[in-house]
Amino acid sequence: MALIKTAPLERAGHLERKQQRDCSSLERKLADPSAEARRWAARDLLDCPDSAAALVERLGLEADISVREVILTTLTRLGNSVAVAGLVQSMRSEDAALRNEAIEAMKQLPEAVAPIMRNLLSDESSDLRIFAVNILESLKHPDVELWLREVIETDAHVNVCATAVDLLGEVGSQVALGSLQQLKLRFAAEPYIQFAADLAIKRILED
Amino acid sequence: MTLPSISEEDFHKFREYFYRKTGIQFEPSKRYFVDKRLLERMAATDNSVFRSYFTMVRFQASGEELQVLTNLMTVNETYFFREEYQFKCLVNSILPKLVQHKRDNTPLRIWVLPSSSGEEPYSIAIYLLEKWADIHRLDVEIIASDIDTKILEHARKGLYSDRSVGQLPLPYLQKYFRKTRDGHQICDDLRGAVEFTRVNLSEPADTRPYRNFDVVFCRNLLIYFDDLSRKTAAETFYDALKPGGYICLGHSESMSRISSLYKVVKFPEAIIYQKPME
Repeated sequence: MALIKTAPLERAGHLERKQQRDCSSLERKLADPSAEARRWAARDLLDCPDSAAALVERLGLEADISVREVILTTLTRLGNSVAVAGLVQSMRSEDAALRNEAIEAMKQLPEAVAPIMRNLLSDESSDLRIFAVNILESLKHPDVELWLREVIETDAHVNVCATAVDLLGEVGSQVALGSLQQLKLRFAAEPYIQFAADLAIKRILED
Repeated sequence: MTLPSISEEDFHKFREYFYRKTGIQFEPSKRYFVDKRLLERMAATDNSVFRSYFTMVRFQASGEELQVLTNLMTVNETYFFREEYQFKCLVNSILPKLVQHKRDNTPLRIWVLPSSSGEEPYSIAIYLLEKWADIHRLDVEIIASDIDTKILEHARKGLYSDRSVGQLPLPYLQKYFRKTRDGHQICDDLRGAVEFTRVNLSEPADTRPYRNFDVVFCRNLLIYFDDLSRKTAAETFYDALKPGGYICLGHSESMSRISSLYKVVKFPEAIIYQKPME
C-alpha cells in the first residue's frame, strides 16, 4: 500500500454521461429523484438561457438545499429578465431561507436589477420594499444612494425608512443630508428614526 | 510611431472577458500588472493595437494564446510546508475520520487545486509518507490541477529553489531531494506519486470528470475570485467530494461566507469544511 497514481479521467470513465444533455432533457432532469442528478442538470442549464423559467419553477418546489444553491447560482449567472423575475417571485415566498437566497442572488446582478429597482421599492408589500433595500446593501450600482434617498423621502412605512436610513448612514454622502432632515420631520414621533437619522448625519459629516 | 498602449476601455473589456473565462477578477488596482502582461503578449504576437490582439485571443480556434495569457496572469507564489498546520490536520484528524467510516478498499483520493509548481501536493505526499502510519496499509491518490500549463510543467519536473524548500526539515530535504547545479531535484518516487492535470475551475467541462474525492485542498485561490465565482467553485467541489469528504481552504478564506452547503468542522489543528453525509 502506498501513494498510487491513476489518471483521473480514466477513473471517472464509468461516469461518462449516459443521459442526453440537451436543454429539454436537462429541464426534465430537474425533477429527477436523485439530488445529485438535479444538481448537475441545474448546473448544465447554464448553457440554456431559455431554461430560466424551468429553473424558477423548480426553485419553488425544491427542498434540497444543495440543489437550490445551484439553481440560484445558475439563475444569477443567466441574469436575464426571466431569471430576475423568478428571483423577485422567490422574494415573496413564505420560505425565509428561499427569500434570503433570492436577495443574496439579486445583489450579484446590478445591471439586471437596476431597471426594476424602483418598482421593487414602490411595491405594495412593505416586506418586499424592505427586501429591496436589503439588496441595495451590497449592490454595486452608482444609483444606490439616489434610490435610498427616494425611499426616505417618500415611503410611508416606518420600517422601510428605518432600513434605508441605516444603510444611508454607511453609503450616503452630503447630498443625502437634506433628505435625512426631511425624514426626521416626517417621523417626528418615532424615536428610532430620530436616532438613526442623527447617526447617519453624524457619519456623513465625519467622512 | 506611437507605442502600443491599453486604454481604460480596453482594460475593462479584457477584465470582463478574462473573468468570464477563468473566474479571476482583476480590481482596478491591478491595472499595471494586467497592462504590462497584455503589452508583452501583444509584442510577442506582432499585434500593435489591443483590438487586433484581443480579437485573436477571443477567436483563435486552438485557444493557445488565451492559455499563454492565463499562465502570465496567474500568481504562483508558494513553498514546501506552507500552512503546515493543515497537513498536520490531514494526518492527525481528517484521514483517521475518513478511515473510520471507510467501507471499501478503494484508494483515498486527494485533489489539490491549484497545484501551482507542485510544492503543495508534494508536501502532502511527504507528510503522508512520514507522518501517517496507515500509508502502509491503504492506497492514496493525489491529483493536483492548475489552469497554468507552464507551471504544471514545472511541477512535473520537480526542480526547486532554496527559497521553495526553505521551510522543509533538513532530514526530509536530504531524503526526498537531490542537490543539483540548478536547485533541489525532487526524487522520482515522489514525482511518480502525484498526477498533474490542467483544469480551469470555472469551466464545467473541465471539472466534470473530477469526482469521488475524499479531501480537496483549495488554498489561496478563491481570494482571487468574485462572490459568484466563489460560489460556483464551492458547488463544483461539492460534487467532486464524496459524502463526508473534506475541503481545506487558505487561512484567510471561509467557506461559511461563500456557501451554506458545507458543515464547519473544528479539528484541534484547523477549521475544515465537510460535505454532509447523505
